[in-house]
Amino acid sequence: MTLDLSMNKYADVSMEEKERLFAEVKADERWHHVLYGCYECGICVASCPSARFYDFSPRVIAQAVAREDVDLIYTLMNDSIWDCSQCFSCDRCPRQNSPGQIITVMREVAVKNGLQTAKQALEGYGRIIYKIMSTGSQVSPDMLQPDAFPDWGVHVNEIAENLDIWRKALPPETLHTTETGWTIDDKTIIELYLIWHMTGVMDLIEGIDEGLFMILVDVMEERLEDAGYDVTFD
Amino acid sequence: MISKVNECVLFTNLHYKVEDNTWVRVNDDGTVTVGMTDVAQSLAGPVLHAKAKKVGTVRKKGRPIATVESGKWVGPVKSPISGEIVEINENLASQATLLNKSPYNEGWVVKMKPSALEEDLADLLTGEEAVKAYQAKVDADGITCTHIEGTEEY
Repeated sequence: MTLDLSMNKYADVSMEEKERLFAEVKADERWHHVLYGCYECGICVASCPSARFYDFSPRVIAQAVAREDVDLIYTLMNDSIWDCSQCFSCDRCPRQNSPGQIITVMREVAVKNGLQTAKQALEGYGRIIYKIMSTGSQVSPDMLQPDAFPDWGVHVNEIAENLDIWRKALPPETLHTTETGWTIDDKTIIELYLIWHMTGVMDLIEGIDEGLFMILVDVMEERLEDAGYDVTFD
Repeated sequence: MISKVNECVLFTNLHYKVEDNTWVRVNDDGTVTVGMTDVAQSLAGPVLHAKAKKVGTVRKKGRPIATVESGKWVGPVKSPISGEIVEINENLASQATLLNKSPYNEGWVVKMKPSALEEDLADLLTGEEAVKAYQAKVDADGITCTHIEGTEEY
């Protein structure tokens, strides 16, 4: 297994642009708490579930950023960082490096700068982003569909068809939902929408997925207006 | 009347906004019916929820008139024309897969009263021109349409 360094898959950009992107990574306030030094013990790789299944190594991430190899960092930012499952098993590093958190920062920079590869990587998560941002509940029971989750096995068909009944079989009434993970009250939703508004999260979404941005704005503005807030996201 | 490109059905009498995968049918009463194309339903997969904006909503072309959700995907139906929503397809609330099974007939999304129909139609493609544009699109994106059980026969 070798790391693909052919730059053919990504937009070729100037060295200045690669340096600018890395400078943005380093400017993040978390930066000084996620990278110290690496003595190549391999504990991060040994504990990494993604490393077992993909051409991915948390050690490559930590070493590339430590060396400030902006060429390689740009490649990783377009590729490897999206293979990480963000489980932070690599946090057991004896030097307190956190490749997982370095990746978190790199992903945020990739998203903020609207890299095409970030758009592609997040394409499959559109509905999850829509769910968490519009309802506050990340995963909804009705995502269990045979076409979306064939790996759940043959019983997924029966669950999907009778989802409403399965949910009603759960003792807490707050779980008798199919479109959200649980019942979410109005106060929570309004607070959530105001947080999205005040923190500029919607600007990130607009750069990544215009269609998703449009429908979220529609949902949020209407609900906020009903609650007496005069807020626009455009 | 009906054409197929890579198994994707197109009605040549409709007007298409190819990049948004929507169609417009001009009705005799001055309204237009708007819906999603066969390509759109195929890319989305079996639809779980389709929620149209309320009757009376005024939309400029390019703005969302409905939200469609499938297992892992969500996206807007962008209005191909400017105007006011005068009717929504109530059947989609309980049978969202009508969008998959009958995208050009029973699975229509909204009816609108257009505000600048002639001007907006000039931006849309119809007939052989639309078929050619779709052929180029499905070839470029590697799309072959798939149809779920119960899909309308054409």
